[in-house]
Amino acid sequence: MRAIARWVRADLRARRGQAALTVLAVAGIVAALITAATLLEDGTNPWRGLFTRGNGAHVWIHTVDPPDPAALRRLDGVADVAGPYRSAPATLVQPGKKTPITLREMPAALPRVGRPVVAEGRWLDPRDPEGVVVERSFAKATGLRPGSAFTVTGLDGATHNLVVVGLAESGDQGFYPEWKPGLAWTLRETLHTVEPKSGRTESVTGLRLADPELTDLIVQRTVTTLGGQVQRISTWREVRASMELDNRLLGVLLALFGTVGLIAAALAIANAVGGRVLVQLRDIATLKSLGFTRGQVTLALLIEHGALGLAGVVLGVAAGWAITVYAMQDLVVVPLSLGPLAAIASGTALTVLVAVGLPAWRGGRTPPIPAAPAAPPRGRLSRLARLALLVRLPPALVLGARDAFTRRLPAALTTFGLAVPMMMISIGLGCWATLDDFREHPERVGQAGRLTVRAGSVPAADVEKIALADPGVKAAYPGAEVDTLVPGQTRTVRARALGTSADPYPFHVVEGRMFRERGEAVAGQGLLDLMDVEIGDRVRVTIGGTPLILLIVGRVIEPEQDGEVLSFGIDSLNAKDAVPVPFYSLVLHDDADPAEVRARLQAAGLEVSQPVNPADRLAIIRVIIVALTVVLALIGLANLLTANALGLRDHAVDLAVLKAMGLTPRQVTATLVTATGLLVTLGVLIGTAVGASLSAWLIDLQGAASGVGSGIGRTPSLTTLAIAALTAIGAALLVALIPARRAARFHIPHAVR
Amino acid sequence: MRLHLLALLKKEPAHGYELKQALEQTFGQAYPSPNIGQIYVTLNRLEKDGLVRSVDVEQSNRPNKKVYYLTAKGSEVLEEWIDSPTEGPRVRDEFFMKLVLAPMTGIADRMQLINRQRRHYLKLMRDLNRLAATTDPENKVARLLIEGAMLHLQADLDWLERCQEDLT
Amino acid sequence: MTSATAPVVRTVNLVKIYQNGGVPVPAVRGVDLTVEEGEFVAIMGPSGSGKSTLIHMLGGLDTRTGGEIWLDGMRVDTLSESAWAVLRRKKIGFVFQFFNLVANMTVADNVELPALLAGASAREARRRREELLDALGLTGRADAAPAQLSGGEQQRVALARALANQPRLLLADEPTGNLDSRNTNDVLRLLGQVHAKGQTIVLVTHDARVACMADRVINLLDGQIVDDADITPRRSRSRGTAWDVIELHG
Repeated sequence: MRAIARWVRADLRARRGQAALTVLAVAGIVAALITAATLLEDGTNPWRGLFTRGNGAHVWIHTVDPPDPAALRRLDGVADVAGPYRSAPATLVQPGKKTPITLREMPAALPRVGRPVVAEGRWLDPRDPEGVVVERSFAKATGLRPGSAFTVTGLDGATHNLVVVGLAESGDQGFYPEWKPGLAWTLRETLHTVEPKSGRTESVTGLRLADPELTDLIVQRTVTTLGGQVQRISTWREVRASMELDNRLLGVLLALFGTVGLIAAALAIANAVGGRVLVQLRDIATLKSLGFTRGQVTLALLIEHGALGLAGVVLGVAAGWAITVYAMQDLVVVPLSLGPLAAIASGTALTVLVAVGLPAWRGGRTPPIPAAPAAPPRGRLSRLARLALLVRLPPALVLGARDAFTRRLPAALTTFGLAVPMMMISIGLGCWATLDDFREHPERVGQAGRLTVRAGSVPAADVEKIALADPGVKAAYPGAEVDTLVPGQTRTVRARALGTSADPYPFHVVEGRMFRERGEAVAGQGLLDLMDVEIGDRVRVTIGGTPLILLIVGRVIEPEQDGEVLSFGIDSLNAKDAVPVPFYSLVLHDDADPAEVRARLQAAGLEVSQPVNPADRLAIIRVIIVALTVVLALIGLANLLTANALGLRDHAVDLAVLKAMGLTPRQVTATLVTATGLLVTLGVLIGTAVGASLSAWLIDLQGAASGVGSGIGRTPSLTTLAIAALTAIGAALLVALIPARRAARFHIPHAVR
Repeated sequence: MRLHLLALLKKEPAHGYELKQALEQTFGQAYPSPNIGQIYVTLNRLEKDGLVRSVDVEQSNRPNKKVYYLTAKGSEVLEEWIDSPTEGPRVRDEFFMKLVLAPMTGIADRMQLINRQRRHYLKLMRDLNRLAATTDPENKVARLLIEGAMLHLQADLDWLERCQEDLT
Repeated sequence: MTSATAPVVRTVNLVKIYQNGGVPVPAVRGVDLTVEEGEFVAIMGPSGSGKSTLIHMLGGLDTRTGGEIWLDGMRVDTLSESAWAVLRRKKIGFVFQFFNLVANMTVADNVELPALLAGASAREARRRREELLDALGLTGRADAAPAQLSGGEQQRVALARALANQPRLLLADEPTGNLDSRNTNDVLRLLGQVHAKGQTIVLVTHDARVACMADRVINLLDGQIVDDADITPRRSRSRGTAWDVIELHG
């Protein structure tokens, strides 16, 4: 054992630089993984971040009269109490729209528990009694910003002109519109002004628990203690569930990226850690001739390289955690929860051990006869090379090329190690292009109608007239969205009647055809999967008690409701559901500005809303793509550095020969860089080409699997790909240049003299 | 030995025993030096050829000793020898004849011959090693002679190996 | 003079056949060899005669195809690689043509490694190392890296390493093959000293100066022994001089 320790220590000391590089490479990859996972976790469910930052209350109790906070605090398991706060229903009045809200009192001094987190503007101030702070998701939906007018009408009909002073986020209730009504906070006095009658208010109290797992138990205790007072209880579990991004497409894409990212990371770690062993074969043979057993050699290698890799993992975990805590505070991020953190740490540690284990085992099986010093690889100057020399290509180019492809396995590994990250980056770019396509051509994802108008303060019959009168509006399609019952399903499915059969809404039909008559419909992929039908089948749905038989004639791209939507003309609907027309979907002229049209129509008394472009809903993917690109770039870099280090070592003898032949240091550098450069270029080009050609197909696959439907996939533009490829090649060449320059001035090793 | 004596006399005249001592000192133990009788015989011949001349010197209690001088002709011959390049083969090999002729005679097996010769060479090499160890480090001439002999011996052994590969 | 103890190394009809891409290439074809304690045996022969293969097999670095190998009265050709490794630590020291020092370790570490491997404490290993380096004239070089030493010094370090555990058998494969004349002499002298202290040595060489230091010279041709000569000097013999090789005219 002492002998092993002595050799490991000496070896590490002698190769300090390479050892440090390995540790840093692994640490970088792990840190990147952790950062990406943190972003992911928060992106897919912001609940944890909000709840932690606001020191949220696990249980919110709605009672008629305010309970005794001391009594609640005495309950076993309750750590702290928030409130009780008075809360009253009111109506937000906006031009053309009336929205029910809940107005809740909150003190000017932010409480300890259940604290809203101010995102824009400021919190309540007793010097400004007319200020309200609006919950952020509600504010976004209603177009409120700090400084906007906040006119409320109380239950008694009196109007109060308040002002929005800030927007805040809370982890104590879900996002609007899943969680209704919208929430706004104000000072007690203001609430009293809007709703003086305490009988029309309720009391809201929050409990923070010592052990969140005991929520159900404590809820029961609370109900028992408070008896009939309790009107409603909401727990953190419901809030978290509601905040979760419930989108299958996103989920599938994330899974895909996550898996590939992990595999690429694993490969890079394996390369960084395991590649070193190959260099030591000569020493291993010597050790064996001295009397090291196979097991001892394997153990020595495991310890030496495993230690480096594990040190990298530990460093990476610490660095990743530090980055998320200190460098990303502006994004609502809390450090990765323990589960995923442990998973990443143990996963990478395992990868390190496996990556080291295989070469260590192979090293153990080296024959104990130390061979003569390795001869330079035998590569005959092929005909192609000779021709190239004849044509007077620079010798550096030819030698470099021959050099690069003589050693097949390392060449293949380098190329592969760059092709895979490039491929993933290309696919990422494809996703980006797809999202851009959603934004620029919303009609291709079924959002030809930029605005939806409903009757606001004008009678329903005038809506169409007013809308069409606007210069920016090209067409108005009557629409109604109803929930239908379908055979074999326990929940309802969205049925969308839009346009008439003669003049249908411009859905984006990718298979089959558009409906032309009453009784025909098109469906999203999700619906076809759900009901297990195909184009050409008839389906029987029940709408508002009335059965309806529809013939499915085509498939459309359907980003809503995971594709489980049936679309047909409004004339296929029963009259009682279609009259009066609930809304109109407006298609604007290409040069019209949706915001201006919206303002004009609102001024005319219509209620206008804008459907959310799927690209916005899936915006988190852009963040992920960026994060993943960084991770993959790091991985590619780590691979390259490893390949370089190995290659230069092999080259030591070649270098001497080249210099003896009379090549200047600059030419030697050029040869070395060419060798790497050719492999890099090959890897990048292969990866980009494969990735680009696959991206459309893969995205379509994801689309089909998630119900949106295939047909959305886009290939990234040639310019984008070219830029990405050139950047990658440039960076790789730069990385190869520095050690190559140093090696070119390397003095000729003793053994060759 | 003739030219060796001429060279010694060119340096300074000397008598028989002095010449013998000088001869012994040149190579030390590494090379056998002639006895006094052989030296006198050679000196006489040289005198007859007119390359040296002797002068009797009287001594009181001993018989006369002859002191030898180099003549002008002797000096000429010496110069000519030194200045002209040495021609002729330098390797004398009887063993190879034996090896080649052995199968015809039917007396000895080639392998046996080779083995026996090799053993001889190795023992010789051993002796040369010992000689080199005991020779005065300052005597570069002797050391070079021994090294030369060793190199030739190594070459002989290598040749022997080649013969063994090809002829047996 | 027969010795009562078992010979240090004994082979019976040792055979080694390589498979070179399906074509069997016999390297050693039935070698019977016995080396007694304290003997110095040199193995010579043309290249391709199987010398290196033979000595590698004696040290367990290569497996045999047929025949037996006995080391100190114990049958060893059937040992597994790991068992051989353990045996090698205590009983065999190996010196290679290309020195094969571990480049990343200092001279001191290189020489101490076998002792540590055999279970000695760090202090014992160091003591033994100082002793050996002193005996071989390398005391000042303990902290140097092998790359900083000349070829001759490196081979001396390799010799020190081979002798670290006082092996029963010292094996050497062309120990002077990579050295110039002066370094060869140094190494030769050391081998002689070591032999004088009673070390059993078997070495492979093509250099006659090395071979003639041995007690026995074995000649291999085509994987078989063709000559086994005893060349220990006997007092009565007349000593050779340079005249036996070169006849000076003039």
